[in-house]
Amino acid sequence: MESEKAVLVIGGGIAGIQASLDLAGRGLKVYLVESSPSIGGRMAQLDKTFPTMDCSMCILAPKMIECFRHPNITLLTYSEVQEVSGKAGNFSVKVLKKPRFIDETRCTGCGECAQHCPIEVYNEFDMKLGIRRAIYVPFPQAVPLKYTIDDEHCIKCRLCQKTCRAEAVDFNQQPQTISLSVQAIIVATGYELFDVQRLSEYGYGRYKNVLVSLEFERLLSASGPTGGHLLRISDGRIPRKIAFFQCVGSRSLKGGVSFCSSACCVYATKEAILVREHVPECEVYIFYNDLKVFGKGFQEFVTRAKDDWGIKYIRALPGEVIEDSKTGNLTLWYEDTIENLTKDMKVDLVVLCPALVPRVASKELASVIGLELDENGFFKSKDPLFAPIDTNVPGVFTCGYCQGPKDIPESVAQASGAAARAAEVIALGASREAH
Amino acid sequence: METEPRIVAFLCNWCSYAGADVAGMSRISYPPNVRAMRVMCSGRVDPSFVIRAFETGADGVLVAGCHPGDCHYVSGNLKAEKRMETTRKLLKLLGLGSERLRLEWISTSEGAKFAEVVRDFTESIRKMGPNPLRTEVDAKASANTNTKEVISKALRKTNVQYCLECGKCSSSCPIAKVNEAYSPRRTVERFLLSSEDRALSGTDLWTCLTCFLCTQRCPSDVRYPEFVRACRGIASKEVMEEICAHKGIPLALSRIMINPKIKQERMGWLPEGAEVSRKGDFLYFVGCLPYFDVYFEDFNLEIMKIAQSVVKILNKVGIKPAILNNEKCCGHDLLWTGDLENFEKLARINVAEIKETGATKIVTACPECYRTLKKDYVELLGNMDFEVLHISELLSKLIDEGKIKFETELARKVVYHDSCRLGRHMGVYEPPRKVIASLPGTELVEMKRNRENAICCGVNAWLSCNKYSKEVQIDRLIEAKTTGADLLVTTCPKCQIHWKCVTSEKLPVDASEVTMNMRDLSVLVAEAMNLA
Amino acid sequence: MERAEEETPRIGVFVCHCGINIGGVVNVPKVVEYAKTLPNVVYAEDNLYTCSSEGLSKIKEGIGKYNLNRVVVASCTPRTHEPLFRATCEETGVNKYLFEMANIREHCSWAHMHEPEKATEKAKDIIRIAVAKARLIQPQKEPEIDVTPSALVIGGGVAGMTAALSLAEQGFRVHIIEKEPELGGTLRHLHKLYPTMQDASDALNQIIKAVESNKNIEVSTSTTIKEVKGFIGNFEATVQKVNGEAANLRVGTIIVATGADIFEPIGMYGYKEYGNVITQLQLEQLLKDGQLKKWERVIMIQCVGSREEKGRTYCSRICCMTALKNAVLIKELLPDTDVYILFRDLQTYGGRYEDYHRMAQDRGIKFIKYLQEKPPTVVSAENGKLTVNVYHALLGEQVTISGDLVVLSTPLTQHENAKELSQFLKVPLGSDGFFFEAHVKLRPIDFATDGIFVCGTAHSPKDTAESVSQALGVASRAAIPMAVKRLRTEAITAMVNENLCSGCGTCVKLCPYGAIEKDAKGVARVTEVMCKGCGVCGASCPEKAISMRHFTDEQVTAQALAALGRLTA
Repeated sequence: MESEKAVLVIGGGIAGIQASLDLAGRGLKVYLVESSPSIGGRMAQLDKTFPTMDCSMCILAPKMIECFRHPNITLLTYSEVQEVSGKAGNFSVKVLKKPRFIDETRCTGCGECAQHCPIEVYNEFDMKLGIRRAIYVPFPQAVPLKYTIDDEHCIKCRLCQKTCRAEAVDFNQQPQTISLSVQAIIVATGYELFDVQRLSEYGYGRYKNVLVSLEFERLLSASGPTGGHLLRISDGRIPRKIAFFQCVGSRSLKGGVSFCSSACCVYATKEAILVREHVPECEVYIFYNDLKVFGKGFQEFVTRAKDDWGIKYIRALPGEVIEDSKTGNLTLWYEDTIENLTKDMKVDLVVLCPALVPRVASKELASVIGLELDENGFFKSKDPLFAPIDTNVPGVFTCGYCQGPKDIPESVAQASGAAARAAEVIALGASREAH
Repeated sequence: METEPRIVAFLCNWCSYAGADVAGMSRISYPPNVRAMRVMCSGRVDPSFVIRAFETGADGVLVAGCHPGDCHYVSGNLKAEKRMETTRKLLKLLGLGSERLRLEWISTSEGAKFAEVVRDFTESIRKMGPNPLRTEVDAKASANTNTKEVISKALRKTNVQYCLECGKCSSSCPIAKVNEAYSPRRTVERFLLSSEDRALSGTDLWTCLTCFLCTQRCPSDVRYPEFVRACRGIASKEVMEEICAHKGIPLALSRIMINPKIKQERMGWLPEGAEVSRKGDFLYFVGCLPYFDVYFEDFNLEIMKIAQSVVKILNKVGIKPAILNNEKCCGHDLLWTGDLENFEKLARINVAEIKETGATKIVTACPECYRTLKKDYVELLGNMDFEVLHISELLSKLIDEGKIKFETELARKVVYHDSCRLGRHMGVYEPPRKVIASLPGTELVEMKRNRENAICCGVNAWLSCNKYSKEVQIDRLIEAKTTGADLLVTTCPKCQIHWKCVTSEKLPVDASEVTMNMRDLSVLVAEAMNLA
Repeated sequence: MERAEEETPRIGVFVCHCGINIGGVVNVPKVVEYAKTLPNVVYAEDNLYTCSSEGLSKIKEGIGKYNLNRVVVASCTPRTHEPLFRATCEETGVNKYLFEMANIREHCSWAHMHEPEKATEKAKDIIRIAVAKARLIQPQKEPEIDVTPSALVIGGGVAGMTAALSLAEQGFRVHIIEKEPELGGTLRHLHKLYPTMQDASDALNQIIKAVESNKNIEVSTSTTIKEVKGFIGNFEATVQKVNGEAANLRVGTIIVATGADIFEPIGMYGYKEYGNVITQLQLEQLLKDGQLKKWERVIMIQCVGSREEKGRTYCSRICCMTALKNAVLIKELLPDTDVYILFRDLQTYGGRYEDYHRMAQDRGIKFIKYLQEKPPTVVSAENGKLTVNVYHALLGEQVTISGDLVVLSTPLTQHENAKELSQFLKVPLGSDGFFFEAHVKLRPIDFATDGIFVCGTAHSPKDTAESVSQALGVASRAAIPMAVKRLRTEAITAMVNENLCSGCGTCVKLCPYGAIEKDAKGVARVTEVMCKGCGVCGASCPEKAISMRHFTDEQVTAQALAALGRLTA
């Protein structure tokens, strides 16, 4: 490989995208590695973002497309970092490109193949509430807009191959190992949802109308499984009363994680407002412990939700949810800690806001790179106050949620910060070379 | 040196008290060892008066009433007869001797009879010797405790200090749901604010069932029942006495057992042909079953069948268990009512006696004994040389090893109830289910609230048995009944007792909604093995 | 390859469904049919998501197939996707200024969600307006400018210094100006930093040393801004020292890191009335100086002057952790002192602060939640003590606490120089008084004005770690134009028809950017690179001599008439 100045960015969510665009924008080469078939991350799954109520995909898509079109950025999607060696200024990286069984140079993203694929799979993008085929793009605005064959579910009927006019299907495709030479590495692997099935008192996984927030977000999204119509998946009815539970698995010394996931109070408020927009007669209750309104515009957002949208906030974390197996309706028990009364409430839908935790896969990545994780699985900062973006490995930086709980604006700012640090490493290397 | 017998007498107002008056008026002498109390009717004499008297060192207790048919209150004296019969049995079990309690019918005019009875009774007591409990210190010995220190330590140890006031506990607690005034969260908050006086002098601390449902769900890992337990040690005992069911008799019995001079007579239940020994590798810890059997005999629960079934099963698989013939109460109820000093005494005695048998494995059919022996003794005294198993764990293992043969098809639809101590406290959920599922012809169904979400049988350590606990109990029984099962199986004798108690009373619902056949797991297994 | 100006416009209209955001309200097919009837429209189609790769390909396809030389996209606000669509046109050989957008989402489908027929009619009108302009627009050129590879950092606190150090390490020259006589900002007044409890001064001194020894950084203390002229790549800032010394700095980018002030709760809770009611900052000073008294009980009150119904409605983010930190410090130094924290919602967010909260609970610090509508009261009692009365929200009872010290946690507020600076730089302040960024979500540290960035508490209340992250962020953002060295600027600028200009000078006076001057001939001359394209000059010129490219009088008038249903010939 040429020894041009390059940076490896691991993770194609908003943080990875921002870091890549900053670096590419100043003339540096970027390899953006993403393990799923498309970049976009969690933001692509959101309907709207708080507190501005921007359409998430609308503000994200231009950045995704810029990543795709930018001459300095090489997207390596459906890929994983396997090996990292060397040191700051001179890392050798091996990236495994998993076989999509599609020739990316030929695929036009037309979608003809998927129309003929007989296999239906619950799609990850819709949190398994919606359906895709075994040959698929994760969502319509995927970048790159290239199809992927899910080897696990594909039955090799080859209908896709027969119908593809671009002759892009290649069942002989092998995994490819790509060797890269980079000066710095940025880790931006984001988060996943804590498994709340463990909290059996809430019935997630057993009761059809108990959902987690990201599932609910997909129901609200125009691009989601119900086309953005707010319905219960169980019976197609429009809910008239919805309860949000905060802190499910967060702030816990047992059965969860000890930290505060920092975005849930406001994103629940956002989803609540969306409910009222979709179905004005639907009552919405948010059950909380401490309302986290510390971010810019958060308090005003919540005040609007209360005053203008009539969303009701109850200071209580419910003890349990019971299902009426005939109707699928739910009864929840809570102690209203302000009224000092223990009572029950009947609702049509319960939305749990689970703890957002660093991805399990980060452990693997951490050992590949030699990074330390803190007790909660976040990448450990070299100095939590003065070098939050640096890690224990010089030349490797981290940003976004995988560094610590934060929202989109903080992830974006920190991603630019990681780009700055990476640029410093390169500048240092350049000045060394000059001498 | 011979000590003079101390006799406490309960004399009914209309007959026996008057009779004693006449003895005095007639100048008839009798030994001065009796101290008499007037009650309106001999039927007023509560077994707890008698037990307390003995616990405090009385050598004998005399209860005297009107002759049958003459009772001023129609049949109070007949009720006294029944009660004293039960009490006598308890005394016998304790090894105190049933003769220390005497019931006599003495009429107004029978002054001479009164004197004669006193003379006779005093003599026989003198022959029996003093009550072994006589020199005991006050049962509720309370050392000078620094309340603030106890609370501060407990706040830390049980994580109460980390409470986030979320209310999950109160909205999980079965009692809080029906008792508006009760909120574990509020109680915690009072302690955190150092305004604990209210909490220590109120009923809140004694309302907790210690069922651990709140602990199960608390995100801050607050172990509220353990906190409550620590505070009960320094809380107002007057309040406790007011709300303790059955006048605290079971607790008094446990305390009595502490005295080393007490030599119980508690082996009468052993079935014929049973093979047990004094020493052995395997010990069966029976628990307070013999006492429950006597005290709750009206419930017809056949409580001793539990112990008998265990022994029969063990024998059948080739185990000859050691049984302590002077086994003391494990101390569970004393621990959970805050009597830590006496709990420790019981613990040390039991551990010493178990050591003497050489046992390395203990099996028990009572979840409370199971928890206490396996967990609380270790916390108090350090690691033990023995392993503790619940009978369900042992049976599950034996079934796996093919050592158990089931001869009889039971053809029952069984619903299993997780008792708090076996379930949430100790995490034993699957072994009992496995055992039930292995019984031929048995279908196992589950209640909606099962395993870690199971609801307590409503009473713990005999405290706070009131209308709220009844509501919880009836709710639970309805839940069991609506599974369609025809048999409710538990592994806890107390659960059975408490449920039987509530269904024997006047019910707010139709009896058919709650009445269920109940069986202890060991008894069921013995039936299936054709050992009954 | 650009197409000639004199060509007849061939307009292609692309109407977007935007999923159901537009299509669910507006009858898109009907609108497409209508568009086809408009003059100079040779092609119209609808797309599900015009901004997706697929949609963009359709535009390119349309341009090629139908020989389009003007493109109208009817979809969302131009503020999101205009650059994207413009770039797409450029790639297909259509000058980016031959593109026009019709906002039929934010201005139509979203605002009239329950009136689909009216929304459809309105959408047709909006497209007609866009087509009216599209018929008249001309290709424009974007001038290129050089970028001075140096940055001006206004503010020498931890944010400003961190940004400066990073830029210096990246090879750029940086000027820090700081209005105080020394560097350090707010950190100078702090004792310990949470959650590590490290000494603020130690950490600060290390950074200051690094700044002072870095040869790429020039520091000027006791210095403030007097004037800023210019534009990205070419700013000229006049700075002045306290002693009157002035200097001109030529820089390519500007970073605002001026920090924040701390609210003084005059008239609240007995502040300044009773000697033992102080602020957290004052407590911090006491702790730093070791000036603790043997207080029996200290009571802290949160949200004093923040999260109000009107005025300072925001949450100041750092006060809960500051209170916890100081409470823990007090407990360490005075173990027998009782500490109470009266709060509304405990802001212990992030990966570490919940653990810190538990540590505080461990130390026996007591927490009492109060309601916004039932705030505590502080009155003086005997012996100089204070009585705090508060409605304990979680017990439902009034609680009275007697204390020797009440500490008020007050919010960070707009810096006293922020208003002035915002005028110098022509950057906005938000309704909360802090600097307002270009886009709340995706451009949090950029200003809408190119080349100027913001970080630290000047942006919003935050702690050290967050300030450092943002500071490094702006170091990247500012580095981008400086690294590429040449930038293309806006083509939308004013142009003067010298023949018509009478030299009255009205436009010169009115231009907010000072971009117009009278030249030697007495005629108005526009320095295009300074012109921001606001059009104030054009509106004021009595001779119709000055107008805006891409927003000519003709074009704007045509739009207005089209709005009323009249299309000019």
